[in-house]
Amino acid sequence: MTDREQYTPGPASGAQVRKDGEKWTLILVRELRHSPEKVWQALTDPAHLREWAPFDADGCLGTVGATVKLTTVGAPTPHVTETTVTRADAPNVLEYKWGGFDMRWELEAFGGSTRLTLWTNIGRRFIAMGAAGWHICFDVLDHLLSGTPIGRMVGPEAIKFGGWQRLNAEYAKQFGVET
Amino acid sequence: MKIKVTSVYVDDQDKALRFYTEVLGFAKKADFSQGPFRWLTVASPEEPDGTELQLALNNNPAAKAYQQAMFQQRQPAAMFFTDDVKGDYERIKARGAEFTMPPTDVTGSTIAMLKDTCGNLIQLTQLARYSR
Repeated sequence: MTDREQYTPGPASGAQVRKDGEKWTLILVRELRHSPEKVWQALTDPAHLREWAPFDADGCLGTVGATVKLTTVGAPTPHVTETTVTRADAPNVLEYKWGGFDMRWELEAFGGSTRLTLWTNIGRRFIAMGAAGWHICFDVLDHLLSGTPIGRMVGPEAIKFGGWQRLNAEYAKQFGVET
Repeated sequence: MKIKVTSVYVDDQDKALRFYTEVLGFAKKADFSQGPFRWLTVASPEEPDGTELQLALNNNPAAKAYQQAMFQQRQPAAMFFTDDVKGDYERIKARGAEFTMPPTDVTGSTIAMLKDTCGNLIQLTQLARYSR
């Protein structure tokens, strides 16, 4: 069996929701046993993003003012949005928009590892799905950085996968929303 | 092969869903998201497994330009058939919709036109029945 077949996500954890009226923000925290520089590269370099992220980028996201087209992977009709990087303080803070979502990434070094935090606004109806999707993406990212890639799991690949269904239900319960 | 889904661009999917369900009377059929992409469709309660109308977000310049040009030329973005265009006109108008054309006889049908509040004109069509 390959690592991909053996992969099972752990329980829902490291996520919280900030509710400000109708505007909900998903906050995800993940500790990665890799340096912030290495994680930064995985967050900004198109070749790395292609290995784990739910979108493809046609340029590097690591420079303020860069205009990059982001293609949502696996959307039922082609979905491309253009973004401009609004903040890129390597290797600590990265900000841009993915469609209507604000994306803020923060990387904090601690003892040779990185505490990665993502803030993203997402409608309450889809917030548990988003948390489940990012959970799996972060697992795939961790494998990639460790040199044991299991291949990107996004869109239909993630949804048909039993672990996603369980995570979706667990996060929905944690957040107090319906699946 | 079947014609199963057709699309209209809308400027706000939540607003569109309210209009197409609460004002026009359709029912939500599919609603899921992938990242910022949201696949949202409605269907007629008279034909729940019939053709679906996708309410697609117009968040790209080509979609916005197309939608505006169609609207300015008074071209409907979608056409719905009914057996009672006058009844639908009264019902939908009572729910606050703005009609740009009341039921009007044209060749072969009676049509009415209204704004969908999301950037489009919608046509209601009742085919004429000629007795032989």
